[in-house]
Amino acid sequence: MSTAPANGGAPAGAAPFSPLRERLREAAEEFAGAPGAAAGILAGMVDDVDRALREPVEVFPVAHHSPAAALAMARRLREKRPKAVFVELCEDLVPLLDELRNCKLPVALQAFASEPEGLPSAGGPLSVVAPVTEASAEYQAIAYALETPGVELVAVDRSVDLVFQWDAAREAGQGPDAGQDSGDGAAEAAGLHGGAVGVEIGDLRPRFADLEEHLLHRGRVRHWSEWWDQYVEQPLARADHDTYRQVMVAVGGLFRRLSPRDARLAVDEDRERHMWRRIREHLSATGTDPADTVFVCGAFHAASPVEEASSTAGDGGFTIPPPTGTGWLYGLIPSSNSAIEAQFSLAQGAVSVASATWAKHVSARSVRPFRLKGQKGAGAAGKRSAVPAAAGAAAGPTAPDPGRLSGFLSAPPELDPLDEAELRTWCVDLVRLARRNGYASSTADAIAVYETAVLLAGMRDRARPTPYDFQDAAVTCIEKDTVPGRRDVRRLCEILLGGDRVGSVGYHSMPPLAKDVADRLEPLGVDLGKRTVQRILVDLRAEPELEPASLLLWRLRRLLGAPVRPIAGACALGDRSVQESWDVSLGRDQRTLIELGYEGVTVEQVLEQRLRRAAWDPGATAASVLEAAEDALVLLDSPALVADLGRRAVEVLASERTADGAPEVLRRFRALVAHFRGTGAGLPAWCKEFVKAGYAHYCTLLPRAFAEEEAGVGQVAAMLSFLFSLESTALALGCDRDQLELAVAQSHPEDAAKVALLWAGRHRLGALAREELRARCAELLANPLVVPSYPRYLSGFAQALGPVPELAPFVVEAVSEAFARLPDRVLLPWLPVLVETLRKDAGTMMPALVREAGRTFPGKPGALDAWTPPWAREQAPAADGDAAAPSGGGGPAAELLDRHRASCDAVAAVLGADGAWSGPDAGAGGAASPAAGGAASLVERHPAAAAAVAALLEGRRVRT
Amino acid sequence: MTDQMLRAPAEVQYAEELAWLESVDDGPKPFTWRLSPKMVRAFVLGSEPGDGLDREISQKWFGDRTFVERAVVTLASDRGLLLIGDPGTGKSWLAELLSAAICGDSTLVVQGTAGTTEDHIKYSWNVSMVIAKGQSREALIPSPIMTAMERGAVGRFEELTRSTSDVQDALISILSEKYVSIPELNEDNTVFAKPGFAVIATANSRDKGVNDLSSALKRRFNFVKIPVVSNRRSEAEIVRFRTTELLRRHDIALEVPPSLLDVLLQSFTDLRAASAAASSDDERLESALSTAEQIGVLEDAILHGHFFGDSTLRAGTLAGSLVGSLARRTPEDLAILNKFWHGVVEPRGADEGEGGPWQEFLEGGKQAIEALS
Repeated sequence: MSTAPANGGAPAGAAPFSPLRERLREAAEEFAGAPGAAAGILAGMVDDVDRALREPVEVFPVAHHSPAAALAMARRLREKRPKAVFVELCEDLVPLLDELRNCKLPVALQAFASEPEGLPSAGGPLSVVAPVTEASAEYQAIAYALETPGVELVAVDRSVDLVFQWDAAREAGQGPDAGQDSGDGAAEAAGLHGGAVGVEIGDLRPRFADLEEHLLHRGRVRHWSEWWDQYVEQPLARADHDTYRQVMVAVGGLFRRLSPRDARLAVDEDRERHMWRRIREHLSATGTDPADTVFVCGAFHAASPVEEASSTAGDGGFTIPPPTGTGWLYGLIPSSNSAIEAQFSLAQGAVSVASATWAKHVSARSVRPFRLKGQKGAGAAGKRSAVPAAAGAAAGPTAPDPGRLSGFLSAPPELDPLDEAELRTWCVDLVRLARRNGYASSTADAIAVYETAVLLAGMRDRARPTPYDFQDAAVTCIEKDTVPGRRDVRRLCEILLGGDRVGSVGYHSMPPLAKDVADRLEPLGVDLGKRTVQRILVDLRAEPELEPASLLLWRLRRLLGAPVRPIAGACALGDRSVQESWDVSLGRDQRTLIELGYEGVTVEQVLEQRLRRAAWDPGATAASVLEAAEDALVLLDSPALVADLGRRAVEVLASERTADGAPEVLRRFRALVAHFRGTGAGLPAWCKEFVKAGYAHYCTLLPRAFAEEEAGVGQVAAMLSFLFSLESTALALGCDRDQLELAVAQSHPEDAAKVALLWAGRHRLGALAREELRARCAELLANPLVVPSYPRYLSGFAQALGPVPELAPFVVEAVSEAFARLPDRVLLPWLPVLVETLRKDAGTMMPALVREAGRTFPGKPGALDAWTPPWAREQAPAADGDAAAPSGGGGPAAELLDRHRASCDAVAAVLGADGAWSGPDAGAGGAASPAAGGAASLVERHPAAAAAVAALLEGRRVRT
Repeated sequence: MTDQMLRAPAEVQYAEELAWLESVDDGPKPFTWRLSPKMVRAFVLGSEPGDGLDREISQKWFGDRTFVERAVVTLASDRGLLLIGDPGTGKSWLAELLSAAICGDSTLVVQGTAGTTEDHIKYSWNVSMVIAKGQSREALIPSPIMTAMERGAVGRFEELTRSTSDVQDALISILSEKYVSIPELNEDNTVFAKPGFAVIATANSRDKGVNDLSSALKRRFNFVKIPVVSNRRSEAEIVRFRTTELLRRHDIALEVPPSLLDVLLQSFTDLRAASAAASSDDERLESALSTAEQIGVLEDAILHGHFFGDSTLRAGTLAGSLVGSLARRTPEDLAILNKFWHGVVEPRGADEGEGGPWQEFLEGGKQAIEALS
């Protein structure tokens, strides 16, 4: 066949369709008033049919989720037995098809790229899904080709890479075509496919909204799926092969001619060039006779006017662009009817209705569908397909009969004969289902639904109620003003008509990682095939052999999140529970696990990669790297990785220019140090490095952090905490204390809170005595101009409890002093400010403060009268000369004993100790203390040794 | 005849159309219906080329086709029809159109109020005649529902949920047994409903909880929920349709400029969005912002412009009428409107530039808010 002209003008040899063409022309003239565009379009439909029929390769037009197409496909394949089947499917997805037999449909073929390279789309992991349902023509073709020896299946559509190369360019010009009719469940349903781009075979839908709206309005239907079902699907279900083919091409041609010439159409034309080029390549390479082949493609493409879209045409200068450097990974993920509906903006329930129709036809019409051997979850279709093909299959290949096409186009659609029994069953079942869902429905409702459905169908010119009529009738009769349960009647109808079937990917089709996970979780009794949430109880004390499986769950928790949820139990630094309880829903979230499989072969490998990636991310902070190191330590137990990450943490810390992450760094590093010390392994080298680097780093940053407004009190306090708490380690590793002293000396904060913090720091370094600190606070309180900022000082002191915990008594004193000394007129308005400041800035330190206050103040109100604050007592001795001051040992214990001397004496008497209360100067090192006396007598007894020591010390002093 | 009525019922207003439809209707008619279900649909929703009618039938009710189909089918079945929805969604209008098309009489109406009694649903007595002649069928005053039963017509019950439960319950036996017995009479004491009798009730979803329907009554009604029209295009059509009718009624020759209609529709869309986003009732206008309310605002503005203005509709007048209609509570509603005017209308006016309708709308609204505050 030579290339036919694209538009208008009857090609030579179009005689069979001449009468139809003439009638359409007349009709167009009648409607439009004159032969014009309408006539061109209508006549063009016939040309399309004519052209498609003359193509030596049998073009088999299909529409997505069309049981009629699937039926016609199955019939045709049985009849023709082609040697090669070309399918409109991304060519690189073909290797996956054989894996379909291990899965329960619907599943989706997926191509996944975590790091796109050279593609115009905006980064992020890219994913393409092509869902496969049982009630589809493509499944029939796939099953036929894979199950029949000697038949080749050739996917001819562009590769996944080109999907993004071409479509991204198209989408740059227009927004995404989001579906309008996505219902409540759509978001939830779409989750099954993730953020994937959907590709499917036979997308047939008007390409501009007005046309679709017009068709829906005129067709008296609500949405596109219903229109298709009523006007194409149902009449075609009983049509013979030729009528089916002609009608589908005609419909495809009509939509094609009515679609706007935009970038999307240009992509479609390029795809057609691609597909036909692949077909020609295959034909010439294998020498297959074109008559022995079938090309399964969308009706839209079957009516292609593109010149190169023919097995006999040339390439016409079309070149297939080379793939980008993106590495694509392929796999199968579970899909579901509702996910497909959401992905392709179909009406809710459309795919379920399609599969119900398919099942019905298969069981009723003696069509023997093809099925992959070993296909799991035999649907209704599979089970009921036992009826042998008899009368229908006997007909041999028939010559195209153009008369049928004109009959189809002129007569109203011929519908299925009434199927009363089916409708009755639906009504009864629905009422039962509604009752289970809280509706007060009864048999009377079943009768009303039946009656209403029949009446509605009559009103809508349908011989028998369609599922959509049934749904409307059910809503009318059963739905009242409120929905009693979770599901409304519309949803119940969908469930009744087959419901949302969710597919799953079989063990053998899963990536190695998922298989490995399934194997390793087996001891716990986790079944990845179950779609429920499984409660797993682990008792590591009773069954220590489960430890690896439990650890795997923790790793999965870290990688996947929600599908693996610990209910009880912990796995953190120094916190490993012996009993755990888990909620595992890996079966339901199979996709996430399968996508994890694209990243590596085992969970450990993926986790290591993720941790490394996080640590070497340009945006990584010291805190985030420490977190990764902690995860590595807890979950992977790989010292080498921890050391790597630790070294990276040192690098990152040294290059940080702000103190923003200081509190987090401090918290994490302290925990790590405690862990290493606690496990007896000692600090690893990287930790020592970190201490050294941190000491130097924070010393350097300290003066600036004190001065800058951006750095908060919390951050500075955390820096000081790091410096003070790890000081001994740092000094032991060769750091210089001078550095810290200098840094503190260079700090000149302006913010009151930071000033207080600095004072506390200087106190810790011994540069500021407590008396002086006390005097400064007294000064602040005495100055009415400064009093309003006193809460800021207090918040600084409270923060200082972190780095300088021994300051707690003083902070209590400072707060108490404020309450004691400030007059009410100042104090009362000031109180809310104080509360607010403390809550905001010193939240974490409050417990320590309150504990200290509890220790300082008497426990009962009655004791308050006789109570003298400790700080007042410290100053008192000089005044009254009382020897009651606490002994040099100091501290709360000594104070307590001192306060209750009588009891102490009594206890001492019982124990047989006769000691005396020491005076105020009788501290541990004082001359009056028994220890000092003992030491003196010892020196007296061995003067030679003492002299030698003295000489030695003398000598050293001389040398230094 | 329509000239002598302020507002003619649908069967009078469209008498000619109904008669024509009846003459060409060859479809199967349930009971004693005047029109077949398909023709009822065509009457309410307007004709389509596919209906094969020679003349065009105008659309009278704007909304989803399914609602009308479900309503018609319900009337052909054994159950009553309950139209439920927000105020101003066209429930009563649909009920009127349906009864006009089915039995040619939409005036058999019982208005549900707190004062509605069982007598209003069943029958009452002509007291003087009872005294003079004793109780007889002559002295009986049938309710509109009873009349509908006797004639095999459609009886309407407006605002069903406003009437008390005992009154509602009187409907149960009428809907299930389809007769009313009159125990006061010794003979001829049962009124049986003729074929074709049906009940259309309307209920306001905002009144939910005032007098909840019993489940027995619920079971005897099919509920059809009428949503607020949110489709801009159909809303514009409704407003245009109703306003034209109004102008004709008042003999006003006044053109509603499309730009002003746009301003009105846009303001309502914005106000609805604001209401939907509000978190408490205080931040929400009391009005349901229905299409009926839009028509009310436009009607008000047109009449104002016609009688007090220069016989043209101005944006300022429209704004004043909008504020006047929607500000029901002070200060809450006024505060919301004030916020709307400054936050939404003002930027629109600024975007549009001098001389546009939004500018004038802005000024008019500000003045109206000021006058009310």
